[in-house]
Amino acid sequence: MIQLYRLSKKFGSKIALDDMNLRIRKGEFVFVTGPSGAGKTTLLRLIFGAEKPASGHILINGINLNRISRSKLDLLRRKIGFVFQDFKLLPKKSVFENVALALEVTGESPTLIRKKTHQTLRLVGLAEKEKVHPLQLSGGEQQRVAIARAIVKEPLLILADEPTGNLDPDLTKDIMVLFRSIHIKGTTIVVATHSRELLEDTAQRVIFLNQGRIAGEK
Amino acid sequence: MTLRLWSYFFRQTLSNMINNRTVHAIGLGTMVASLLILGTFLVLFVNLNAWIEGWEHSLSMSVYLEDGITDPQSDRVISFINGLPAAEIERFISKDDALRDLRSALGSQAGLLEGLSENPLPASFEVVFDAIDGEIDIQEIKKEIEDLEGVEEVQYTEDWLERFEGLMSMVRLVGFVVGGLFCIGILFIVTNTIKLTIYSRRDEIEILKLVGATDWFVKIPFLLEGMVQGILSGILALLALFSGFILLSTKNMYFLSLAVLDIIFLPPKYAISILLTSVVLGFVGSLIAVGRFFDV
Repeated sequence: MIQLYRLSKKFGSKIALDDMNLRIRKGEFVFVTGPSGAGKTTLLRLIFGAEKPASGHILINGINLNRISRSKLDLLRRKIGFVFQDFKLLPKKSVFENVALALEVTGESPTLIRKKTHQTLRLVGLAEKEKVHPLQLSGGEQQRVAIARAIVKEPLLILADEPTGNLDPDLTKDIMVLFRSIHIKGTTIVVATHSRELLEDTAQRVIFLNQGRIAGEK
Repeated sequence: MTLRLWSYFFRQTLSNMINNRTVHAIGLGTMVASLLILGTFLVLFVNLNAWIEGWEHSLSMSVYLEDGITDPQSDRVISFINGLPAAEIERFISKDDALRDLRSALGSQAGLLEGLSENPLPASFEVVFDAIDGEIDIQEIKKEIEDLEGVEEVQYTEDWLERFEGLMSMVRLVGFVVGGLFCIGILFIVTNTIKLTIYSRRDEIEILKLVGATDWFVKIPFLLEGMVQGILSGILALLALFSGFILLSTKNMYFLSLAVLDIIFLPPKYAISILLTSVVLGFVGSLIAVGRFFDV
């Protein structure tokens, strides 16, 4: 699903990723962890095409991000869901509108958009709150809206950058249960986190980053 | 692009304009004011042009006669003038009529004429040329009449026309410069209005890009916003201009305290030009604004 070859990224003179090689198979659930500044967010942004590498190649589903046009990258992003620590929801839009936004950009029919959005909100347990605005929700609920927005377009891959960073342990558990339920349906999931609690007792693959390099795997 | 997407774009445009109504209202107001000044200038230009054309089409000539002109000489002058194309003797002003006219024109100063031992004013024919076009050589006609026996001098409104045509060239030049400056100003206003609305929606744009929206999907509502702003300001400016015209045209307008002038409104092609210019400026302004904002 994801193949990285000798991937490097610099911000000025600071090296964010250094000669990284990595392969994540389709349907895998992978945690990427490491201290702050290890390169977790940069790695996710590179996979998403939000940053360009200094050198090396990124292949998503066999497509080399270095060689695709801007418009093809936009289309590829429709197959990738991104979940942020700060949710990135639009406060003036309702929960329903925030989730439906991901389908509106694809030009789907309003009927299909309504149907899929309702289904997804039911899946994340927010069917009753679709008319509510994000700021009226708890942190956990807001993150579930963000996850709903990421999965409503049925992506092949979900990238989550510290998705539980702003949540208490109980809400963290809820969100991880939600991710696992999505993973069971075959979606590849990459979660960047520095939370030790999240990684304790996990049976999933864990990649340790340090100073832009892979320091180990579990 | 499907009808569904366009319906989304129009809904989005409308909602953006409502959400950023203050910015749009300020931008719209400034654009209307600029277009109104531009329109007023055009009305002025169109009217000056019409007045001058009117004068050209009703050119008048005064044929002053010598004091001792004989009846056969006078008849020859009359028949020569009547033989000219589109010429007509409007009236004959005798020496006495000329003095009477001068006396009444002087009004309270008429006493100045009391000391005159004899009437110094010549008799004259007032000749009107209807629908003069370029084929008539007025200079040549003047010369031919002056060569007739019994004719002292011929005067016509050429000097006035030349002066006004010079003025029109100046008005035209100033119009181009002022119009150009206003267009740049309008472009600047639209660009900045759209930049402000883009700025206020930067989070939404970022999210749209993250969920896979193409650049054009994000840009089109902003381009439509610029065009709608252009259309609205064009219509409002024309309405304001028309209201002003109605207000002024109900009053008699005097020019040099002499003539009552008829004011005309902008012909349709000028009104459509204002509307088209504002739409194009709205589009180009928003195109400039969106150009640099999409690098997510």
